Amino acid sequence: MFSLKKTGTILCALTIGLSGVLAGCGSSSKDQSASAGSTSQPAASTASSGPVQIDFWYALGGVRGKTIEDMVKKFNETHKDIIVKPAYQGAYQENHSKVLASVAAGNNPDVTMVEIASIAAFADAKVLEDLTPYSQGDEKKYIPGLMKNSYWNDKLYAVPFNRSTPLLYINRDMLKEAGLDSNGPKTWDELVSFSQKLSKKEGDKITRYGFSTPVDIWFYEALVFQGGGNILSENGKELTINNEAGKAPLELWSKMVKEGIMKNPPGENYNAWDVAEQDFLNQKVGMIFTSTGSLTELKKNAKFDMGAAFLPANKTFGTPTGGANLVMLAKSTDAEKKAAWEFMKWMTDTEQTVPWSIASGYMPVTTEAIDSAEMKAFYEKEPNFKVAVDQLQYGYPRPMAPGYKELQDVIQKELQRAMLGQATVDEAMQAATEKGSKLLKK
Amino acid sequence: MYRVVLASRKTVEWIGLLVVAFLFVFPFLWMASTAFKTMPEVRQFPPTLLPETWEWSNFAQAWESGPFLMFTWNSILVAVGILILQFLTAVPAAYAFARYKFPGRNLLFGLVLIVLMIPGQVIFLPIYVQLSGWGLVNTLWSLILPYAASAFGIFLLRQAFMQVPDEVIEAARLDNASEWKIMWTIMVPMAKPVLVTFGLFSFIYHWNDYFWPLIMTNSDEVRTLPIGISSLHMSDGGTLWNVMMAGNMILILPILVIFFVAQRHIIKAFIYQSK
Repeated sequence: MFSLKKTGTILCALTIGLSGVLAGCGSSSKDQSASAGSTSQPAASTASSGPVQIDFWYALGGVRGKTIEDMVKKFNETHKDIIVKPAYQGAYQENHSKVLASVAAGNNPDVTMVEIASIAAFADAKVLEDLTPYSQGDEKKYIPGLMKNSYWNDKLYAVPFNRSTPLLYINRDMLKEAGLDSNGPKTWDELVSFSQKLSKKEGDKITRYGFSTPVDIWFYEALVFQGGGNILSENGKELTINNEAGKAPLELWSKMVKEGIMKNPPGENYNAWDVAEQDFLNQKVGMIFTSTGSLTELKKNAKFDMGAAFLPANKTFGTPTGGANLVMLAKSTDAEKKAAWEFMKWMTDTEQTVPWSIASGYMPVTTEAIDSAEMKAFYEKEPNFKVAVDQLQYGYPRPMAPGYKELQDVIQKELQRAMLGQATVDEAMQAATEKGSKLLKK
Repeated sequence: MYRVVLASRKTVEWIGLLVVAFLFVFPFLWMASTAFKTMPEVRQFPPTLLPETWEWSNFAQAWESGPFLMFTWNSILVAVGILILQFLTAVPAAYAFARYKFPGRNLLFGLVLIVLMIPGQVIFLPIYVQLSGWGLVNTLWSLILPYAASAFGIFLLRQAFMQVPDEVIEAARLDNASEWKIMWTIMVPMAKPVLVTFGLFSFIYHWNDYFWPLIMTNSDEVRTLPIGISSLHMSDGGTLWNVMMAGNMILILPILVIFFVAQRHIIKAFIYQSK
């Protein structure tokens, strides 16, 4: 799941200011590495003797943030020549704002998490360091399905770290009771017919819906891929959703809502996700789309046999991935960059990614990890987690274009307009395309 | 008969007021109730109004999830520090605007009013760059200094000072009081209700402020409570809402206490304002 929009205004202001400001900040004085207190000490010399100190900014709170802190501690204990200073910087978008501001001010971190659909914007603004000279082919260890958002203009800019993917969550008990295959629907047609059988009415009131999903860009992307379409043209310059594959998801969802077999969960942004999950746990809906990130929490709270399945196929299966990658900042010194790569490599090695995946619910990032005994034992116990990894063979990259951060908001607004009946599907796609092409030409 | 009409009208009024009060208080009650629930109960539908079991450990879990004592201390330093600086700058500025005639006065006051209308998000980048140049980013100073002067405070105090009758000041001048003395010992006490109002607004705003401390700081040592609370929130689902709400309870507790203690002043200040 990827966190959006919360600080949209800030970001807007930033992206406008970014290109100009960056140009005016040639020389960077790195002085923020000093350990806080009320005084900031001048730069600890990195070139000469002593360990290299690097800053790592992360964007996950709660238990997951704790896990990251513990991992960094372990890294510092095992690497005497490097000191990594981790810092929590709010959710993805807040972290993005901070990174951009810090680059402009010349006190940027050396490694940070970046939400995968924003990699292009960062790389395009020349904020990121090309990783190819550091990785030297090492990047082959990562699962190919997770690498699709790591490149920009054929250069490697990011390695996968905390990665998720959407899944179809099913209430197996409810499906069995209705005489349906408890592995869930495999196709869009089955999704409709399953939902019809699961929905319940008392008089005029619908007491149970078969299906529910937040009308979110992430799931929309998935359904466009499933129809053989794509959000952007090959060169990333055009929006390509004003066609059959682009309209099909909206037609499917609005038809199901009209029929009373799908619930369009109310609420802005992530509130809608919460509503869908809440309804699912309370057995008000039988199946929902949501992120792998929710597996642990939903499993813990479900009072029924909960299962996970591939998103149903239209012409093919298809899914985007989500979450964040690790990137290196271009403005760091050479010594810091060398240390930064050491750290990025270590954080995403099999030895770290396996416990990280088990603790956090994110997918492991190396192919080796999936075949490891520890991971296999975990999948044995929690087969739902395996579903996410298996689905990666049908993975598509999230659209890569510098303007996609803003564009996804535009598309999502039009999707919602269509779902609420304020526009026809054709009108919505037409409007999205017109507004979108302006953003992409910028 | 008349008495009955009056009584029933009073009852209707009371009911109306109660409904409005309930609307305002409900979110707080809901937060308090959630802070004591277990996670399954948070998720439960239909929701329960009061927790079935009182889960005090949520508070401990929130408090122990980070260096909250340090966050609290920083929050106090920042909010109080800002308040003191704002008083020191706003009182003389407001006095000058209210009582002196000097060339460019209206232009300068106009500039102060314009500052009121610019949201912080618009100008944070240049300020960040500037503070970073001075080496102040990631220090408590970066949280305090940008707010040292308050346009809102100057505006509010100027209005209050203008209402002080000329005779009072003239009498003081006849007694050979210095301008400095007039300002602090005559004007300030007379504007006390306004000062209390402004102080509360300022304190609450900076106590709750999230955006600025987040942008300006990188390490726990100089971070404030709201950032500590927000780190309880998980980006990708699975947030423990009960712990999060317990954290929020900790955050708003001091403000609630202030409201209880200063309730009378606050009401007076607002009545004074609307006169």
